[in-house]
Amino acid sequence: MATVTETSRLGNLIWPVLAWAVAIVFFFPIFWMVFTSFKTDADAVKPEFLWTFTPTLENYVNMARDYDYWRFATNSVITSTFATTLALIVGVPAAYAMAFDPSKRTKDILVWMLSTKMLPAAAVLYPMTFLTKNILGIYDTHFLVIVVLCLINLPIVIWMLFTYFKEIPKEIIEAGKMDGVSTWGEIKDILIPLAWGGIASTALLTFIFCWNEAYWTVRLTTIDAATLSKLIEGNRAPEGLFFGRLSAVSTAAVAPIIILGWFCQKQLVQGLTFGAVK
Amino acid sequence: MDAKDFWFAIQNSLFIVCSILILTVILGLAIAVLINRNFPGRGIVRVLLISPFFVMPAVNAVLWINMILDPVLGLQGLAVGGVNTILDGLRDFPILGHFFSLWPQLEPISFRATQTSSYAVIMMVTWQWTPFAVLIFMTSLQSEDESQKEAATLDGASAWSKFINLTVPHLARPIAIVVMIQSIFHLSLYAEIEIVSRGNGNKNLPYLIGEFTSNNIGAASATGIFAVILANIVAIFLLRMVGKSLMD
Repeated sequence: MATVTETSRLGNLIWPVLAWAVAIVFFFPIFWMVFTSFKTDADAVKPEFLWTFTPTLENYVNMARDYDYWRFATNSVITSTFATTLALIVGVPAAYAMAFDPSKRTKDILVWMLSTKMLPAAAVLYPMTFLTKNILGIYDTHFLVIVVLCLINLPIVIWMLFTYFKEIPKEIIEAGKMDGVSTWGEIKDILIPLAWGGIASTALLTFIFCWNEAYWTVRLTTIDAATLSKLIEGNRAPEGLFFGRLSAVSTAAVAPIIILGWFCQKQLVQGLTFGAVK
Repeated sequence: MDAKDFWFAIQNSLFIVCSILILTVILGLAIAVLINRNFPGRGIVRVLLISPFFVMPAVNAVLWINMILDPVLGLQGLAVGGVNTILDGLRDFPILGHFFSLWPQLEPISFRATQTSSYAVIMMVTWQWTPFAVLIFMTSLQSEDESQKEAATLDGASAWSKFINLTVPHLARPIAIVVMIQSIFHLSLYAEIEIVSRGNGNKNLPYLIGEFTSNNIGAASATGIFAVILANIVAIFLLRMVGKSLMD
């Protein structure tokens, strides 16, 4: 743990205060969203009720009545969980091959894979809609959302896993090979236990990205497989006036993932290096 | 397609991505150094700081443009109004009031105009991604060689020169990674642009393509191809930057 060795007494006081101030500034918008969700739509835009108001659950009650929140939430959980699992099932062997048996072109392939994430999704919207609606007939199904979420996150998953696997000494894997362990056995019994921390934090980050994805989940679903981002999409249109309702829906959509993030933050902090630490 | 629109969209994409990159790296470095010490409540500070990273981009945009930045109903409007009221009060002071009456009334900024809405986008994305930079810089600061720093202290180096000569070179690799991962995500920025600048001229490349898909599939595909080429150029550039050290 790095600590500052020489600090004056004043410094001992100023830095923590400053750190707290920065943290509060960064957290303020989220706090404000939750805070506003307990005001009525009318109160939310009145300056006199900025801090003091009668808290109400009206917005949440209305939300539960007007929208099927639990269906959206369940869909989000299902699609994000399966997409993350699928991405790991594909990503672990791929990263294994790249880290322990690299060719001259491995580096280029990795960066090329990452570059596909820079492709604007809008460019392939039309072919995707046509293909899934008219030809394959899988539009608005969980299967489609899971596959799409998995595919758009795979480059990041493989990249992250690759950087963790690189840190494992090649000799350990080779020793397994000498003892006649199969490739699957190497992955299952040697690699996964050794890189467990990295795999967990990759899974966590992928889950967050899946949960927050809002382009394909909005455009490739209508009702059956619609996720929480679709719920937001339907509520964000009118400006002003509906701050209370807007905040309640937003809070309900982001609360599960923020709470998950808080619980797993230690894991995330330790694991999220992208190979930045040697 | 309109060539002017197209070039503007490219310029705007680059402007937004570069601004976000510069801001997140600087803020991320400052905050990572700031919290990289022991103080009461460090765990809570860290939890609060990384929270924006978990927020859905669509929620982020809706929250900022409506509840915070709106010139009338948002906190910005209220804050500007409050400052104006205080100024008005000060103007009534016997002698000092003369100085205050020289101050102009503050006008709230509307973030829905073409130019200002790209600032709004930069602001909200920076808010969301600074925690990511902080996370990466923080893990990397913790692996810094302390003995080297202590040696420098004994040699009489100032805190600033230690930071520039030891910490920054140590962070070169994490900075490269933050820049790379972020450019990947921000080149295809969509939800924020769509929500903030609905209908005005503030378009980036993905948004322009999105507009074409509703009326001109040919132009959408052509712009799409261009975007892919642009992405590959950026990828080659990134490859040079981080690829080399990656394979060591």
